[in-house]
Amino acid sequence: MTQPFLSIRAVRKTFGAFVAVHDVTIDVPKGEFLTFLGPSGSGKSTTLYAIAGFQDPSSGDVLLEEKSLLSVPSHKRNIGMVFQRYTLFPHLSVAENVAFPLRVRRRPDAEVKRKVADMLALVRLENFADRYPGALSGGQQQRVALARALAYDPPILLMDEPLSALDKKLRQEIQAEIRRIHRETGVTILYVTHDQEEALHLSDRIALFKEGRIEQIGTGEDLYLRPASEFVAGFIGNSNFLPAEHLETAASAATVRLADGSILTGLKATRPFDKGQKVRLMVRPEALSLTPGPASVALAVDIVDTAFFGDRRRVVARTAGGDEIDVRPTSDAAEPADPSASGQRIFFDPASAFLFPA
Amino acid sequence: MLLDYERLGWLRVALVGFTAAVAAFLLLPVVFIVLLSFGSSRWLAFPPPGWTLKWYEQLFADPTWIDAALTSARIAAMAAILAVVIGLFASFALVRGEFRGRQLLRGLLLTPMVLPVVVFAIAIYAFFLRIGLAGTTIGFVIAHTILALPFAIIPITAALEGFDKSIEDAAIVCGASPLQARLKITLPSIRIGIFSAAIFAFLASWDEVVVAIFMASPTLQTLPVKIWGSLRADLSPVVAAASSLLVGLTLCLMIVTALLRRKLSR
Amino acid sequence: MTAFKRQSFAGLPAGSGGAVPALLLVGLFFIVPVVALLLRSVTDPEPGLQNYAALFGSGTYVRVFLNTFLVAAVVTAVTILVAFPVAWMLAIMPPAIGSIVFGIIILSMWTNLLTRTYAWMVLLQRTGVINRALMGLGIIHEPLPLINNLAGVTIGMVYIMLPFMILPLVGTLRAIDPMTLRAAALCGAGPFQAFRRILLPLSLPGIAAGGLMVFVMSLGYFVTPALLGGTSNMMLAEMIAQTVQSLLNWGLGSAAAFVLLVVTMALYAIQLRLVGAGRPGGGL
Repeated sequence: MTQPFLSIRAVRKTFGAFVAVHDVTIDVPKGEFLTFLGPSGSGKSTTLYAIAGFQDPSSGDVLLEEKSLLSVPSHKRNIGMVFQRYTLFPHLSVAENVAFPLRVRRRPDAEVKRKVADMLALVRLENFADRYPGALSGGQQQRVALARALAYDPPILLMDEPLSALDKKLRQEIQAEIRRIHRETGVTILYVTHDQEEALHLSDRIALFKEGRIEQIGTGEDLYLRPASEFVAGFIGNSNFLPAEHLETAASAATVRLADGSILTGLKATRPFDKGQKVRLMVRPEALSLTPGPASVALAVDIVDTAFFGDRRRVVARTAGGDEIDVRPTSDAAEPADPSASGQRIFFDPASAFLFPA
Repeated sequence: MLLDYERLGWLRVALVGFTAAVAAFLLLPVVFIVLLSFGSSRWLAFPPPGWTLKWYEQLFADPTWIDAALTSARIAAMAAILAVVIGLFASFALVRGEFRGRQLLRGLLLTPMVLPVVVFAIAIYAFFLRIGLAGTTIGFVIAHTILALPFAIIPITAALEGFDKSIEDAAIVCGASPLQARLKITLPSIRIGIFSAAIFAFLASWDEVVVAIFMASPTLQTLPVKIWGSLRADLSPVVAAASSLLVGLTLCLMIVTALLRRKLSR
Repeated sequence: MTAFKRQSFAGLPAGSGGAVPALLLVGLFFIVPVVALLLRSVTDPEPGLQNYAALFGSGTYVRVFLNTFLVAAVVTAVTILVAFPVAWMLAIMPPAIGSIVFGIIILSMWTNLLTRTYAWMVLLQRTGVINRALMGLGIIHEPLPLINNLAGVTIGMVYIMLPFMILPLVGTLRAIDPMTLRAAALCGAGPFQAFRRILLPLSLPGIAAGGLMVFVMSLGYFVTPALLGGTSNMMLAEMIAQTVQSLLNWGLGSAAAFVLLVVTMALYAIQLRLVGAGRPGGGL
């Protein structure tokens, strides 16, 4: 990692007895797209607000290029932000909204004019300069907000669930815009969302928040392929969990016994387990298939339901222990069209499964 | 951040200080009048040289004050009842009616609140002089009902607009007659509005000065007319005593309103 | 709800029956007297416009008109300046403190108008509390003339009008999303810039509507100017009352009343348009 550009050091925020953020520490290199992902109330927005200066942290520090931001009032932090709600100034036109941060900085007229034109071109709203926010769609308003937040070339752009009020199609469209703008401007972005797909699509790295703490921080691939906890595995992507009992671990390959008595071996243990300890076995739906692979193990199930989705099938299976398992094999020729042909068994590579403490 | 109370900094100190000063300004006259009514100074000096109840004794010893208060209460009660009943019927038409000119009708019925009272006062005075109602209780009640009507219509229409008409329809489906449905379902649901209407209509008449000055006769005068006459003569502390009682009445009304609202809205 | 057609009686449009008593009352005892009064302005003592000629031709009456507008304008301006910060704080204060201030506002609003005016007469008189306090503090040596002049009327009227300005403004300010101001701050606007460029423009509709209402009410006010004002700055309402009551000049009084009515109604129509909804504020 390069030298930290923005550094969040042991930031803690309490409201009375309630601890909203527990000593969060993150270093953000310049130009990174970092997403704070988590369920609502997990402290991600509170952390963002501490950076924006809307709330002072109870303890800890926020440093930008080694200088503390905490004693700097919001209006002098020179940070850009796009909000969850539409916060365009309703009495100003689109162009005046984008010009606002430049006007309060008393930049010369010619520069303001040029910059506004550049920014509106960046968000592709050149033809909307004289409209008022009330006459724009939600997606257009958020694009103007983005232009306004970038107009003064802030080193950091904060985005607080900017797409949550938009419908799905528009969300995807603007996600693509945000990626393009990040590429073109190279601005450092801190992005808050509760939508894991959005986080995976946009981010260089994701910090997954749970109850005021960072559960895991890493690339989308890290979190998806190497989840550090059951919470991470459950939050990112789809996953199946099966109760099991740990028997032994040798050379980081664990052996467990499932509820139906079957023994599985060669599983990845994320941490050492005791003999006889209750554990949870996690396997992704797409790692499961109806045909055996070279290294796969088999699981006896009842096939409950099956559906066809074009590129994939979806099969719902039930174990003898009563746990439902979501199976999403690819619908290529190798997979049988009739799932019952597999002999009521599903297969997976034990290396693709994880064990977490129960 | 200007709308974040917690993050206004020094500005908050200044603005809260200013707000406190304005609150003191609003409270000051009310408090002073009550204090002065117990002061012994004939010239209303403050702080008073001593404390006394003699202004209250004088007030209650003077039958014209008692008469004026009773007249005011009688007229205000009648005007309030009339305004609420007429206003209730009118509100149903304004909220539920489906006819053209509904907004115009609403505007018309609310105009007495907007028109300068002095214009209405001389108009109704001239009219009553002609038809022989000037200086009569009936004349007083009619004029005050007109001024109180908007204060009754506004809370009742507001309550009625907030009431879901389909509940009344449901009662009719259950076998209630439309009249029963209105009496047993709708009226209890909008009782807070009706109660506010009664209070406001009563106060509109009770505090009314301008029409009363014109309408009053030597034998029929309301409390505000009596106070007005005293004020034009001198600043007698007896007026302070009367005013303090009015402040006490206002406080009682506020407390009763707050309590009843809490009880009714439960 | 076509299932329950309401009966309409006597050929009246559906649902309008309830308005009949109110309409009769207002028609007979409000519309008729006011129209009769206005007719009187062009018929008393004889048909013609001589009353209006007298009204606008006389320096005395023109001065009353000008003074009325001056007082209403000063009262409105002072009321706005005092009300805005209070409404601002009330909009964002913790409700525990705010409700105390609201209680004081309601108490002053509900207190008898004459009582409040009387209190100011006592407070502002030459030997009143305010002059004594100022002299006691050594700020002044002679009592200030605070009553029977513009200062007295302004203080008394602002006192009465403040609740009518504060309460609707609180609504306007509460309707502004605090996030908008946070956005302005992050854009680099300090408190002054954010106020001038965002908060003030966004509350302008409320200020204009409330200000117009205060102005209209002040134009036709009678009691407070009559008791706190001086003879040299008489206002229109008092002049109308005196012309009719003391001078028994009904024609001239009616003409002045008509002028007041037209100005009031015209400004009121503008105010309704500003508020947007076709319904006057107030009530509670």
